[in-house]
Amino acid sequence: MLDLKDLENQTIYILREAYAEFKRPAVLWSTGKDSTTMLWLCKKAFFGKIPFPVIHIDTGYKFKQMYGFRDSIAREWGLDLVIAKNQEAMKEGVGPRDGKFECCTKLKTEALKKCLEENGFDALILAIRRDEHGIRAKERYFSPRDEDFKWNYKDQPLEMWDQYQSITEDKTHTRVHPILHWRELDVWEYVKQEKTPVNPMYFARNGKRYRSLGCEPCTSTIDSEASTIDEIVEELRVTRIAERSGRAQDKEKAFTMQKLRALGYM
Amino acid sequence: MNINVVIVGHVDHGKSTLIGRLLYDSDSIKEGRVEEIQKLAEEYKKRFEFAYFLDSFDDELKEERTIDTTGVMFKGEKNLYSITDVPGHKEFIKNMLTGASHADVAVLVVAADEGIQEQTGRHTFLIHMLGIKQLFVVVNKMDAVGYREEVFQDTRDKVAQLLASFGYQDVPFIPGSAMEGDNIYKSSVRMEWYKGPTLIEVLDEVEISKEPKPLRFVVQDTYKVDSESVVVGRIESGTLRKGDSVVFQPSGVRGKIRNIRVFQSELQQAERGDSIGIVVDREVKRGDVCGLVEAPPIPTEEFLGEAVLLGKSLRAGDRLELRCATRRVSCQIKEIREKINSETGEVMGRHPAEINENEAATILFATAPLVVEKFSEIPELGRFVLVKDKNIGAGVVLETTN
Repeated sequence: MLDLKDLENQTIYILREAYAEFKRPAVLWSTGKDSTTMLWLCKKAFFGKIPFPVIHIDTGYKFKQMYGFRDSIAREWGLDLVIAKNQEAMKEGVGPRDGKFECCTKLKTEALKKCLEENGFDALILAIRRDEHGIRAKERYFSPRDEDFKWNYKDQPLEMWDQYQSITEDKTHTRVHPILHWRELDVWEYVKQEKTPVNPMYFARNGKRYRSLGCEPCTSTIDSEASTIDEIVEELRVTRIAERSGRAQDKEKAFTMQKLRALGYM
Repeated sequence: MNINVVIVGHVDHGKSTLIGRLLYDSDSIKEGRVEEIQKLAEEYKKRFEFAYFLDSFDDELKEERTIDTTGVMFKGEKNLYSITDVPGHKEFIKNMLTGASHADVAVLVVAADEGIQEQTGRHTFLIHMLGIKQLFVVVNKMDAVGYREEVFQDTRDKVAQLLASFGYQDVPFIPGSAMEGDNIYKSSVRMEWYKGPTLIEVLDEVEISKEPKPLRFVVQDTYKVDSESVVVGRIESGTLRKGDSVVFQPSGVRGKIRNIRVFQSELQQAERGDSIGIVVDREVKRGDVCGLVEAPPIPTEEFLGEAVLLGKSLRAGDRLELRCATRRVSCQIKEIREKINSETGEVMGRHPAEINENEAATILFATAPLVVEKFSEIPELGRFVLVKDKNIGAGVVLETTN
């Protein structure tokens, strides 16, 4: 196991660097295990009070339980919650039947883009991890996006030691990835150690559980008997199944994830 | 123990394939991934390659080369490895350095059928500059040379000579084939003449020792917590205890550690790597470095560094920004002492007017006051990046003139 203390120390260091370097950062929260863990790490880094807004992208297709979980944590932790929605696309009825690529781009990426423009955020803190997906394994801790939101993955910054590149020209923003180096197992070990709240959908019922949470139409369960945090940790020690196996948008076509991310997807 | 390993070497000598092989043979590949890659290979009319576990960009697949660095993790018998793949192409040195900068150990891959090539030398120079002391060599693609011992010996002799010029002595050499799986994770039956360990066996023997160093705490920020001023930052070396008398440089502020704070708790002491908050009742600034009064950090305005340039060019007299730990200062290239061939480590010329992309040099920097340490003594404060609109170079501190 990676040392949880080392992981936590590094993440706190990155969060404090981001807070010192950017004028107006915000953190993205899907209500899933990774971003909820990261919110907890924000609380630890800033001694209890998260000093920047927390954005939740609402596609209108999220599970009902995710909204309930979101609202109760937001209240309990006193979050400055900003809900990002692409109202226009939602009105037009954009949905997964339009193609997953199209749907994710409109309801998530575009919604986020609007939210950024309206609020003038210059840094977005995200809970992506290298071990989730090959394309995320290529990321930097501080990753610049241009004014069209694009990720120029062919020319990423030099990022040596902990010298993150934080220069952003006008109208651009930087993605900050403080838990990039964590594995799925580490997140659960940490949830166990810190007793942080998790959405009950991760726990097995009738032999099924969600391993990764997204929008309802595009997220499926895995076969599992793990109904407690301990059992999830045990399951992850031996499993050969990929974490995002239940996430449809990754699998639509080869390199869909790369194309989504190049346009500004998380 | 968690070990950070970087795999370096010339383009197409099999770095990504070697990591793919380690993942595959150690059963770390997730279900369906092999089939996914087989399908992809068919679609792109390529042969199945272990490298495709790492190379996730479509351009990487099309061009059959790694463009950017990738981090993967897997478990050996004893250690947990964070393995970093880096591109072996000259145009991606920036990405190579990004990947290599956190490594404890390097594995140099040299293809038996090609021997030493341009990036073999350059990557060795760079890992040497980065202070990576533990190095192993895999003489790869032994299958392409009929697993012949004399080819291995010949390659070993030549590479050993190159390594010796950078000060690497008694480096273990392993004959292997990442493609066929010889001596990477499993022992080979095709090279009876080799009695030594596999790559994973030598890696599992690695231990990282940390010698005691003087306290250096770098300041990131100051927060108001419960109406108390808390200075947050990280301990880069040494130990900090409640009650210690400390000095911050370059601000020159002195104080006593009244408290060490983390969320919902207080500590009596904190160690290297800890992200903490301290209460000192003095105003200090981001970029300050704190040490004990008995072994204080010393501010400097001039130092000699060895740097590699990734930007277009750098001339004597140029002004740019230099960052060391959390300190940013403006600096001037006072003198370019020696231009170094980053492929061989040889001095190419004294006092050149400029250096260019991918070239290295020893440079005398004149800076606003900051704390740096000799890289050989406290590496965390002995390394810096150079910034001109973006990060354009990196280096280590050779000498400080206080």
